[in-house]
Amino acid sequence: MFDRDIWQEIFHTLKNNKLRTFLTGFSVGWAIFILVMLLASVNGMQNGFTGQFNDDATNTIFIRPGTTSKAYAGFEKDRLIQFKNEDYEYVKQSFPNDIEQISARYFTNTNARYKSETGAYPLQGVHSDFQVIEKTIITKGRYFNNIDVFNKAKVAIIGRKVKEDLFDKEDPVGKFVELNGLPFRVIGIFTDEGDDNAERRIYAPVTTIQRNLGNTNNINQIALTYNSSYNLTQALDFSERLEVIMKRRHKVSPEDQAGINVWNYAEAFDNISSFTSVLSAISIGVGFLILIAGIVGIGNIMVFTIKERTKEIGVRKALGAKPKQIINLVLLESVFITAFSGFVGLIFAWAILSIIGPTIQTPAFSNPSVSLSTVVTATIILIVAGVLAGLLPAIKAANVKPIVALSDK
Amino acid sequence: MIEIKDLHKSYKMGSNSLHVLKGINFTAKEGELVAIMGSSGSGKSTLLNILGMLDSADSGEYNLDSVPIKDLNETKAAQYRNKFLGFIFQSFNLINYKSAAENVALPLYYQKVGRKERQEKAMKYLEQVGLKEWATHLPSELSGGQKQRVAIARAMAAEPKVLLADEPTGALDSKTSYEVMDLIQKINDAGNTILVVTHEEDIAHMCKRIVHLKDGVIVEDKKVEQVRAQQYV
Repeated sequence: MFDRDIWQEIFHTLKNNKLRTFLTGFSVGWAIFILVMLLASVNGMQNGFTGQFNDDATNTIFIRPGTTSKAYAGFEKDRLIQFKNEDYEYVKQSFPNDIEQISARYFTNTNARYKSETGAYPLQGVHSDFQVIEKTIITKGRYFNNIDVFNKAKVAIIGRKVKEDLFDKEDPVGKFVELNGLPFRVIGIFTDEGDDNAERRIYAPVTTIQRNLGNTNNINQIALTYNSSYNLTQALDFSERLEVIMKRRHKVSPEDQAGINVWNYAEAFDNISSFTSVLSAISIGVGFLILIAGIVGIGNIMVFTIKERTKEIGVRKALGAKPKQIINLVLLESVFITAFSGFVGLIFAWAILSIIGPTIQTPAFSNPSVSLSTVVTATIILIVAGVLAGLLPAIKAANVKPIVALSDK
Repeated sequence: MIEIKDLHKSYKMGSNSLHVLKGINFTAKEGELVAIMGSSGSGKSTLLNILGMLDSADSGEYNLDSVPIKDLNETKAAQYRNKFLGFIFQSFNLINYKSAAENVALPLYYQKVGRKERQEKAMKYLEQVGLKEWATHLPSELSGGQKQRVAIARAMAAEPKVLLADEPTGALDSKTSYEVMDLIQKINDAGNTILVVTHEEDIAHMCKRIVHLKDGVIVEDKKVEQVRAQQYV
């Protein structure tokens, strides 16, 4: 295989048949190019989708109370379910192994004022874990911590838009902003990749909001992230358990989806994943079909080559070439053309992707690229393809009868 | 060197079978230069192909250098051809994209001779046929006579026991034919056994023995006074 003479022979043949070699190689190179581009496109779509959903942690569950739609356990329907701090504590205590982060949410609106600037904004009371759940990015200052929550500290985190509205170019961190007439110290500014609206929010410790703005222990929602090592089945199983115990606790019928709703991101995410995996399966399929066309092309050319070289093969046999040596020669030539042109296609596709890939940043499509494993797989496929393409012609060549080949007719 | 006993060969032509060789008995000793003559269809090419292990006989015995040649598979046949035989063809059959030296070295390659030794030997045999300075030329740059000389050098490179020449002068004009025959005679003078298939009387008489084939049997086998080709060159 690594015999210098064989390679010399192969290069000789290829050099003497440049056009033929080019045309043959082109079909395979093109096939690989398309295969890689297709895979990269699917990858780009996947990146786009994932990017959109990744705004929040993907292992998030929201538990929302609502109004019952069924009479149950002696209660009439249309009963309003209200979560309290105790519900938050209850969930937190009940699933210590399943939950990574957990936060209550209390929604209200506020009129905010700083000096002469005022504005109306949504205000959310949350626990410090909420930063991770919402993937809030602090650009300046800090998020509040458990101590702030415990002390009911009058601190606030404001969104980028809020900062622009109220503070303009001033640095708000450390300044006091008036929320519904009460002074809150701004301790951080956040951005959110999700949307601009999210950046119009103000966050404060849930305890502070409850005491100062409503004097209540009501909460509107419980948000949590579960153990990130859970697979889909485990995640869905966990939401199921959550739903069961919360419904039991609030005496809501197990069939009543309106009374208490447990919403798991994993379900939506799973749909996307299966969508993109179907897409990539299709593109691999299409790519393979194109590749098969390329392989058949090479096989075809090799058969033609053998026919053209029948006499030469006959001479070689008369001079003492063994069938195995003839097979080797043809196979290596085929593998060489396939592998080489495939690599050219691969490198071409890769170059295009690395140049234009990073510049593509749309919501549904971002950074199309191929992984190393794709490249390795493609290489193996190419070599196998080369062998397959060359095998039949090689056997045909080995069966050339020198006597027929050498007859001068 | 060559012993053939009662050799038969027939070809199937549809439902008929054509009996080409009908019991050939023939021996050639070392150092002989034998012309095999006959009109077309006499079976001389078939006989040469069987001698060259390019074809197999239906029945009969064939011993080459005391080795029985029978039931050969492709690989074994290739080995024997490489070891025992050198071929010279009417149409030269040089590989057109290889230089003269590379063509001559090819049988050595199949003998697994090392690269350097191959080149040395190729040059040695090219020199013997007087084409040393043409070593790097492609066959397309050579004249017919030169091509046949390269082919002869190639046939000799593997140092075979027997050289088989199938109409070696068939594609050449008479002057070049004599040059080639002169070369063949010199190689024979050096002690090599050579079989020449021809249908030209003058070429046959440049051998030492003429075997006449007709309708698949040997009708005449005589020693002749060798005409030296040198005088016509």
